[in-house]
Amino acid sequence: MDRRTFLKGSAALGAAGLAPHLAAPALAQPAKVLRFVPQANLANFDPIWGTQYVVRNAAALVWDMLYGVDAQLKPQRQMVESEEVSADGLTWTFRLRPGLKFHDGEPVLPKDVVASLTRWMARDPMGLMIRAIQAELSPVDDRSFRWQLKKPFPKLLLALGKNNAPCAFIMPERIARTDPFTQITEYVGSGPMKFARSEWVPGARAVFEKFSDYMPRDEPSSWLAGGKRMLLDRVEWVIMPDPATASAALQNGEVDWWENPIPDLVPLLRKNSNINVDIADPLGNIGAFRMNHLHPPFDNPKVRQAVLMGMNQEDYMRALIGDDDKLWKPLPGFFTPGTPLYSEAGGQKIGKGDIAAAKKLLAEAGYKGEPVVCVVAQDQPITKNMGDVTADLLKQMGMKVDFVATDWGTVGTRRASKAPPSQGGWNMFHTWHAGADCINPAVYPAIRANGDKAWFGWPDLPPVEAGITEWFDAADPAAEKAAIDKVNAAAVAGGVYVPTGYFLGYQAWRKNVTGVGKGPLPFTWGVSKA
Amino acid sequence: MLAFLVRRILAVIPVMAVVGLFVFSLLSLAPGDPAALIAGDQASPADIERIRASLGLDRSFLVRFGEWAWRILHGDLGTSIFTNLPVTTMIGQRVQPTVSLMLVTLIFAVLVAVPLGVVAAWKAGRLVDRLVMGAAVLGFSVPVFVVGYLLAYVFALELGWLPAQGYTPIEQGIGPWLANLVLPALTLGLVYIALIARVTRATMLDVLQQDYVRTARAKGVAQGGVLFVHALKNAAVPIVTVIGIGIALLIGGAVVTETVFAIPGLGRLTVDAILRRDYPVIQGVVLLFSFTYVLVNLAIDLLYTLIDPRIRY
Repeated sequence: MDRRTFLKGSAALGAAGLAPHLAAPALAQPAKVLRFVPQANLANFDPIWGTQYVVRNAAALVWDMLYGVDAQLKPQRQMVESEEVSADGLTWTFRLRPGLKFHDGEPVLPKDVVASLTRWMARDPMGLMIRAIQAELSPVDDRSFRWQLKKPFPKLLLALGKNNAPCAFIMPERIARTDPFTQITEYVGSGPMKFARSEWVPGARAVFEKFSDYMPRDEPSSWLAGGKRMLLDRVEWVIMPDPATASAALQNGEVDWWENPIPDLVPLLRKNSNINVDIADPLGNIGAFRMNHLHPPFDNPKVRQAVLMGMNQEDYMRALIGDDDKLWKPLPGFFTPGTPLYSEAGGQKIGKGDIAAAKKLLAEAGYKGEPVVCVVAQDQPITKNMGDVTADLLKQMGMKVDFVATDWGTVGTRRASKAPPSQGGWNMFHTWHAGADCINPAVYPAIRANGDKAWFGWPDLPPVEAGITEWFDAADPAAEKAAIDKVNAAAVAGGVYVPTGYFLGYQAWRKNVTGVGKGPLPFTWGVSKA
Repeated sequence: MLAFLVRRILAVIPVMAVVGLFVFSLLSLAPGDPAALIAGDQASPADIERIRASLGLDRSFLVRFGEWAWRILHGDLGTSIFTNLPVTTMIGQRVQPTVSLMLVTLIFAVLVAVPLGVVAAWKAGRLVDRLVMGAAVLGFSVPVFVVGYLLAYVFALELGWLPAQGYTPIEQGIGPWLANLVLPALTLGLVYIALIARVTRATMLDVLQQDYVRTARAKGVAQGGVLFVHALKNAAVPIVTVIGIGIALLIGGAVVTETVFAIPGLGRLTVDAILRRDYPVIQGVVLLFSFTYVLVNLAIDLLYTLIDPRIRY
């Protein structure tokens, strides 16, 4: 065999072996299978034990809730048919919809609800508040259960229907009896999809199959409320840690829907005539960095104020988003823009980049040149980009910066330390909050300023807490808004944390997929694929 | 020979023990707490402590190490902190993609690199040699992820010939399996080709100066016979050595390649586990990698005796 014959033969052999599979990715997918690239890996699947957004999003397919918030942020009945509350607000009686079934064929009974709520209450901030005033939670009959409280809790339905983790998902009693600090091992719910456990490869894929016995409500679906009609037989989550790979897979038709394309790749996706790109979550996100109120220099309110005045939100947002001005706006407060409690009270001076004023205030505060330990997770681009801006800001203000670039796992541990920064503690870390978690104080731990019980940074600001108490006790929307104005102003004055701006994110999907909506999580009900 | 084999196999035990102790100590010293990651943003310090206790992380280093070592001795790699799945199951799910990738890469690389190295040595100093060595330098210098993205762009996005990502198990057919592996193997193979080709050339250059090669030529043996039968056989020991060393490179390169092509292999499992501080998984994978490497070294030592009968243990 001469060289030329050999090369021809090799090429022909290779082509024969591969030919049937060339361009395979764009072909041959069953019509009702949706391949979805989620924001992160589904590393565990217990929505009470692990509270990551990705777990919550998957759980919303598998486990149903008694109530669900709709696009107007109002809790609507979901598994519940009706509820009654006594005149004194102390006794709530709920009746379940008839015919509710778990994926194992067993009916959903009040005992399942009681066990599920009991487990949820041990882990959820609102649940803990309810647990503290609970007299009794018990089944009444085969479809009803009663919740007796020692004190009225007007936000009870919001607690049961809210979408921030951990949600009040309902599980069979035998599963819900698992210690809330131990992971469940059975994934049986009564939601519109069943979890195909045998196909679960953590870090690679998770599969959900349509639950044929699910009975959607009659109302149109709206976020977690209304009829969750599954038009797909199967949803496959394909985990892709690399954005460029996800982008290529979407363009190639290997996947159908990508939850969170990075801004850099959006122009490329927009050029593809087979792909839709649109805002994913209308509630967006709030960028943030927190200062440690326990240690110098941020134990001094004037130093915190100096940082609030010196920082420029546009710098932060440009670092995160680039030049797409539709994706961000300044945020002179702490609550999600476009929601009923949004407030700018007292926030006029923050985020304007007034370095001169900041320096003056810093001098008045008597800053002694203590190094600021600024902890940044470089494996989270959002926090890394914001951290770089902050380091520059502090230097411009004349502060000494000890910039610690590490990974999110380390930040998660270090930020929980109350030790002085020189002994393994910290002065500052960066994060962001989903807008859906910042719509009111009940779902917003980061706004709390109750000292030791507050979120990392442990602000102790009685005026903020007084406003929050007013909000919980408010009888009508006007009173609620007035209370939140007080909270916002006090949070700015005390520097609970530093909002770096409000930003939105995109999602992208192929045009043969219809029904993709906007919401705080990717709702699969109502989505179809041609 | 048998005594050598037994000695080498027994030597694996202390090596693995040291690796185990090292990995366990390193993870204990590393910052980061899986409980904090599990608990999420809304958790209180008390919640985090309860999770730490439920995972057994609140116990002393020695107790945890003792329990872990005892389990290892019984063939139990433990349970993932995050997924609650046995580490053996998680590794089992990921072995096939990684082994497939390494195997295809290895075969492809050896088939390309050895002839290239031989030809470069044969044509030493001439254009072919310079081209091969230039390409080798390029292959060694261009980062794996750059090659990966470039190949995916050309062959998946522009030409639409091959998938850009994913893995199809071999049970679903050789074709689909191979279709998913072509681009990753090409990506990973370039570095490997460069390494093997350079070593092959250098070794062949030395061998081609030997008297027996001159004798073979004088006796009228054809050029192909001289190069691939007489010379290559005698140059094989260093080449086999570098192929073995290259397997360690493959393991490292697979981490990047698996990420770029979204292949659910051991490399990605390791990175995910490290970022999550999933200690049992990290320990299990590192032990597996170490064990594999020790076995590869043993296999290479044994191969020496087959290739060169003068080598005796």
